[in-house]
Amino acid sequence: MTAGAPTPAVSQSPRHLGALAQFGLVIVCVVVAGSAIVAGRSVSAAASVTGFQSIVQGTVPQFVVRCAFSHAATDDPIVFPGDPGASHRHDFFGNRTTDAFSTPDSMLGTDTSCQQALDTAAYWSPTLFDHGVPVVPQGADVYYRPGPRIDPTSVRPYPHGLVMISGDAMAMEPQSTKFVGWACGSGGDPQVAAPVCPPDAPLRLKVVFPDCWDGRSLDSADHHSHMAASVDGRCPAGHPVPVPQLQLTVRYPIHGEGHELNLAPGSMLGGHADFVNAWDQTELESQVRLCLNRVLVCGVISNKAEDVERPLPSRS
Amino acid sequence: MTIESKTRQGILMNTTRARGAIIAVVLTFAMVLAACSSGSSSSGSSAEPGTKASGHTIAVPSDQPTIQGAVDAAAPGDLVLVSPGVYNESVNITTAGLTLRGTDRNTVILDGEFKLENGVRVLGADNVTVQNMTARNYTNNAFFWTGVRGYHGSYLTSYRTGNYGIYAFDSVDGQFDHSFASGSPDAGFYIGECFPCNAAIVDSIAEYNGLGYSGTNSGGNLVIARNEFRFNRAGVVPNSGSYELCYPERETTVVGNLVHDNSQADTPAIDVAKLAMGNGIIIPGGYNNLVMRNQVWNHERVGIALVPFPEDGPKDDIPTGDELKMPCSEARNLPLADKASLPGTLLWDAIGNRVEGNTVSASGIADLAFGTLTGTDDSLGNCFTGNSFTTSAPASIETTMACSNPSGAWSDKLDLVALIASARPDSGDYKVQPVPPAQPNMPDASTAPGQPAVNFPEKINIDSIPLPAKP
Repeated sequence: MTAGAPTPAVSQSPRHLGALAQFGLVIVCVVVAGSAIVAGRSVSAAASVTGFQSIVQGTVPQFVVRCAFSHAATDDPIVFPGDPGASHRHDFFGNRTTDAFSTPDSMLGTDTSCQQALDTAAYWSPTLFDHGVPVVPQGADVYYRPGPRIDPTSVRPYPHGLVMISGDAMAMEPQSTKFVGWACGSGGDPQVAAPVCPPDAPLRLKVVFPDCWDGRSLDSADHHSHMAASVDGRCPAGHPVPVPQLQLTVRYPIHGEGHELNLAPGSMLGGHADFVNAWDQTELESQVRLCLNRVLVCGVISNKAEDVERPLPSRS
Repeated sequence: MTIESKTRQGILMNTTRARGAIIAVVLTFAMVLAACSSGSSSSGSSAEPGTKASGHTIAVPSDQPTIQGAVDAAAPGDLVLVSPGVYNESVNITTAGLTLRGTDRNTVILDGEFKLENGVRVLGADNVTVQNMTARNYTNNAFFWTGVRGYHGSYLTSYRTGNYGIYAFDSVDGQFDHSFASGSPDAGFYIGECFPCNAAIVDSIAEYNGLGYSGTNSGGNLVIARNEFRFNRAGVVPNSGSYELCYPERETTVVGNLVHDNSQADTPAIDVAKLAMGNGIIIPGGYNNLVMRNQVWNHERVGIALVPFPEDGPKDDIPTGDELKMPCSEARNLPLADKASLPGTLLWDAIGNRVEGNTVSASGIADLAFGTLTGTDDSLGNCFTGNSFTTSAPASIETTMACSNPSGAWSDKLDLVALIASARPDSGDYKVQPVPPAQPNMPDASTAPGQPAVNFPEKINIDSIPLPAKP
């Protein structure tokens, strides 16, 4: 499996080649300016793995998908394929058919819980329990962006069938909040422990996936090593292909005191999420080319879109 | 960021390539930068592709069976002319100066069948015009421009869309006119994240939306004039917030509009629309807006109100001084405030707004209202004058908050708790909102040449726009 060649941003008839050359230059100028803006917003100077981006929406190119909760099951088609009931319990978003027997091909063209009907990819995360009772998520928001300081024009779509896992279900120590964390509302940065959230900004699990691919393998024995996170705006040598940095945010109707929370693997430290690329591949490629490669904001999910009624402000 | 550091970034991005390739990239990069700067010095020249009509027309379906096929075959300045039919397409435009037009607004229909996301999406292509057609049943937006300079949406009808109707984001120098947007849970019309926007929404109608008009962090020569906002949850609701760029919302002129019956309980609605329900024109946290000569009536809560916007989990602090004068293109590069210095809730007060010459009636709480949570009410510079109204909060609003010599001695400001108290009906289903009646066609749709969106917005003489009479 190889990465697909990027599609030209503009296709033109031969009679307009002169104009095309000029127009192409305009596009490149826009892209260069956009890259500068992206770089300008990223402040870290130290060489380090970059994950979660604490940014104002509209700062970097992105496309977004908002998905309803689909179903829950003790299935995991990546870790326990063909073995129903073998997994801890997961909450599934996106593809509505996901079960232990699902494959990228079986998912294509089926129903989705996402607002974007051509996003038939599968997303899942461990079920959250409150006092031992499963919490039904309000839904999940999915952000597709260039990795931090990655040249947006270099980002390639995931190949059909690529799988990814981010986070460690068995973690006994706190995981890096660059990749897994808990937050209140859409504006909150991830934390190791679930914070007590206000009613208008309820609890979320945020999981950031690696943004560099080895360019060859759709999966790997440990389901991790074919992917890597970028470092200082570059993909490492063994994983040279920049792909969209996927951030999955699972929204729960949990706020205030009095909760006793745990995740399906057992510990609240075991936050993780899984992804199977079963997008309509033409649509995914189009979104990457039109939005990320052209350095455009194709949609935002802002805090005005919370599903929870805001509380009354207190009078001064 | 300097050119030198841009070039360095260009090198760094390509260290995995061979040395020869690096040199080629650097050279190309330098050439591009040189070309960019020479291009900007001659901006406005007629040589720029897509700023003039080419005279070339591609007809759908006779030349190309699909709209997307025609758009992909078009060159800058071309006209894509679409004949009546239902087109189950999601059209992406990346060609500058394109005109996409239907020959008949009511029978040239883009239909997403609640499966496709956007009717027409203009992606970073400047000067694109979309005219005289209908888009319906999209899960996201009907007509959407993002990242462009120069845009024009005219004689458009949108209905039953899952997010916005007619929408411009991070775009400047544009206009929406003679258009009709219905049945969106967010806003029928939206212009956001721009300063100065240099834009206008005129002679249009929004109904059965969560919000008739919304614009987060937009303004600067932004004119909303001669429109009708009716039967939405709330009418005109621009706001500030650091959750998107270009804060605050400011310098928008809302003039000569009919704004009525925006208490519609069965529209689709995001939570802000639910919260804003029953208000005609409400400006949460906006700066230096002009609200003039609007006819506003029949609202469960307030007719025209200036209120604070409490933003939970802010990303940045409120800009002050010179930062407020910066165009968005510069302000967006400012570093964010230190997270630890930010309050849990950032309070955007309405500042420097002027409400003048409106006629407001039949409001449940007050025809005119001002609210703040800070207690420094009289220092915020908002004023009310020359309005025709019956009720207000504070009671003598045109005395206490007069535009000249305000008395300032008042304590009965708008009760914000009462304003947003009480349960709100859940969102209605956007998929079942009313189908708009047939709308007027643009003149000479079949014969007019392509019209790239240059020199927008059109000049609008604000002073000549009268208070409209009730229909």
